[in-house]
Amino acid sequence: MENKKGSAVIKKILSEYSIILVAIGMIIVATILQGSTFLTLQNFINILRNNAVIGIIAFGMSFVIISGNIDLSVSSQLVAVAALLISVINTTESIVLGLVVAIAFSCVLSALVGLVVTKGRVPSFIVTLGMQYIYRSFCMFFMEGGGFTGSVTAFKSISNTNLFGWLPMPIVYFLLMFALYFYISKYTRLGRHIYAVGSNEKATRLSGINTDRIRIISFILLGFAVAIAAITEASRMNSINSTSSGTAYELNAIAMAVVGGIAMEGGKGNLVGTIFGILILGIINNILTLIGVDVYLVNAFKGAIIIAAVLFQRKEKER
Amino acid sequence: MAECALQMTGIVKSYSGVTVLKDVDFTVKQGEIHALLGENGAGKTTLMNILGGVTPMDSGNIVLFGEEVRLHSPADSQAKGVAFIHQELNVVNDLMVYENMFLGHEIRSKTGKLEVKEMCRQCEEVFSRMNVQINPKAMMRDLETSYKQIVEIAKSLLRNAKLIIMDEPTTSLTLNEIDNVFAIMRGLTTDHGVSIIFISHKLSEVVDFCDSYTVLRNGEKVSDGYIVQPDGTKITQADIARMMVGRDVLGVEVYQEHIIGDVVLEVKNLTVDTRVKGINFDLHKGEILGLTGLLGDGKDELVRALFGDIQKTSGSVTLKGKPLNVKHPSQGKKHGIGFLPSNRKENAIIKDLSVQENITIVTLDKCCSGPTLMPSRERKIAEEYREKLGIKVANLANKITSLSGGNQQKVVLSKWLNAKPDVMILSNPTQGVDVGAKNEIYALIMELAKEGIGVIVASGEAQEIFKLCDRVLVMYHGEMRGELARGEISEENIMILSTGGLLQ
Repeated sequence: MENKKGSAVIKKILSEYSIILVAIGMIIVATILQGSTFLTLQNFINILRNNAVIGIIAFGMSFVIISGNIDLSVSSQLVAVAALLISVINTTESIVLGLVVAIAFSCVLSALVGLVVTKGRVPSFIVTLGMQYIYRSFCMFFMEGGGFTGSVTAFKSISNTNLFGWLPMPIVYFLLMFALYFYISKYTRLGRHIYAVGSNEKATRLSGINTDRIRIISFILLGFAVAIAAITEASRMNSINSTSSGTAYELNAIAMAVVGGIAMEGGKGNLVGTIFGILILGIINNILTLIGVDVYLVNAFKGAIIIAAVLFQRKEKER
Repeated sequence: MAECALQMTGIVKSYSGVTVLKDVDFTVKQGEIHALLGENGAGKTTLMNILGGVTPMDSGNIVLFGEEVRLHSPADSQAKGVAFIHQELNVVNDLMVYENMFLGHEIRSKTGKLEVKEMCRQCEEVFSRMNVQINPKAMMRDLETSYKQIVEIAKSLLRNAKLIIMDEPTTSLTLNEIDNVFAIMRGLTTDHGVSIIFISHKLSEVVDFCDSYTVLRNGEKVSDGYIVQPDGTKITQADIARMMVGRDVLGVEVYQEHIIGDVVLEVKNLTVDTRVKGINFDLHKGEILGLTGLLGDGKDELVRALFGDIQKTSGSVTLKGKPLNVKHPSQGKKHGIGFLPSNRKENAIIKDLSVQENITIVTLDKCCSGPTLMPSRERKIAEEYREKLGIKVANLANKITSLSGGNQQKVVLSKWLNAKPDVMILSNPTQGVDVGAKNEIYALIMELAKEGIGVIVASGEAQEIFKLCDRVLVMYHGEMRGELARGEISEENIMILSTGGLLQ
């Protein structure tokens, strides 16, 4: 009897977190192909650090998608926030002030997007599609097509120090953001309301919940994540570029969430899945580079993984 | 003796070791309206799915119009003249009527161009056969639900269906619309020899409109026969209910005397644009007040305005002595009003959440310690209501969609009960709920009143009103047509007032 119960529990975990299987599978494949280079601590640290910035955005994006919306403007929003951040630091010589302004700015931008989506009843796809152009365009205007460089070198230490001497800070920020957002999603009223709104907005509203407010807050959660990502990104080289920074971050963040099981129709998926989505896409990139696949073909694999992941999830659900 | 349109014999079906249909025989005579009855889980849907080619049977025999058939797919079933009209209408709202009617079977010229004129002509022909007026070029979404239903029926006629299965066709229809649909069904059987299998929980309709019946219980056929016996007596709803449930159900007296206290809600001159016109009434603590009427009566808008789902245009509402101005359901909830909406699938069920999560969604703050949700507190509350309301579910963590209609309704009710409202508004509380569970829900509503909550039941089912209410307000075109005290509540009185008449 005990055995039956145990195997039933395992079955349930596997079906809910089938992505774990995929991730483990990939690690095994990678070990077989390039064991000595792949299975090193340094390699794993590289994978995490390379995906930390977009991964942080993916955590915020998860909330927006779960609540039934999407945000295509995060890449240009990141550039705008980073540009403001560096400008403020350069002019005031205060890193703290820069951080505060950057976070506030990003949250306000996201709140405005949320307002237009809820009160204006414009689909989020459209609003954020427009905002993406607007942010990027203003950045290029103010930065004259080029970039901003920070003059306060201490700012670099935010992304370029290692905790305990070996763990890069970006990974620490990534893990902290995960912990925070996971807690919100599973252990707060807000998190539950976000799932409810994404699943059935009408029924949630008729349960006495202010659904507009919940959707705006989910955008703000993304805005905060974009701010943290912008800070981490800008601090890396103490600069930000209006043309080359942040390219395709929005699509990558969405891909990570989707591969991790966040369904586009809303109401489903969780942050643990997102982290696995991040890992899977990160590992794919890593393995392909280690094997020596032509750099141009790497994206073909990424695209295939995205489609395969969702295909696999649907089949699981239909069981 | 009329020929048999359908003869199913010895149907057996099991799903992973559980036998859902045990040697079931089901016969439908040509040209009759045959009711297929049974509680949720009795096997009706499975039996019909087998007939519709959706599910294969394990063993048994199907003879359709004298020919033995093997149905391997819905296409097979349709080819043999069977049409299955599901409870959820399968219409495409963004297409026109004729496009819906010919979906998948469009008429094209040799060059591939669509023959719109011919399609419209055929539609009009079918409609005139059915004695209805529908514009083939009307947009589907502009039609009322009953007309959408009629289009579905017309579509099956176009496919030359001779046996139509109608699954709960009247759940979302008003009384007028129901009469309309039944008139058409009757026309089909008498004038065109079409046979109809009618699945419904509304026993009044079964008794009033059907020719024969078959009752399934726990996967077995327990009884069948004519609604009107050879000797002229008519089967009663109580008889049918007893066959369905296996015990006396309808006769159960639900109403109990209870104490009615002070006024808790005063409504003066409440107006919602043109749909609700100057309504006045009081609701007392512990009272069950009924609101009823026909299509367009405004009761739905009235209760939604009370809760804050729609805005009132003018008038005043006083709750517990204080003026109430609600612009959003969150305010309605804050002030102590609970609302169980009709059409729970769209309006009350959050399908991706579990049973437990649906129970606690209104009162999550009661499960929190600080900002943190405590799973143990949540489970405790869910368990409490599972027991109190008798919700049948194996595991509270299961998705709510795995529950039967009656149990889902209990979940929706418990989510509001936990908020301890002073006023509880219930709109069509037993919509799509089978006979056995209906009584359980009525008993729960009685309990609410006994606890001193002011209850408003808005419903189109006169029987429901009769079973529960202390007083009834009947509405007609947005106005209050009349009030009936308990002793005056009857189907006739309600009908007179609902249709704009006056009581003597």
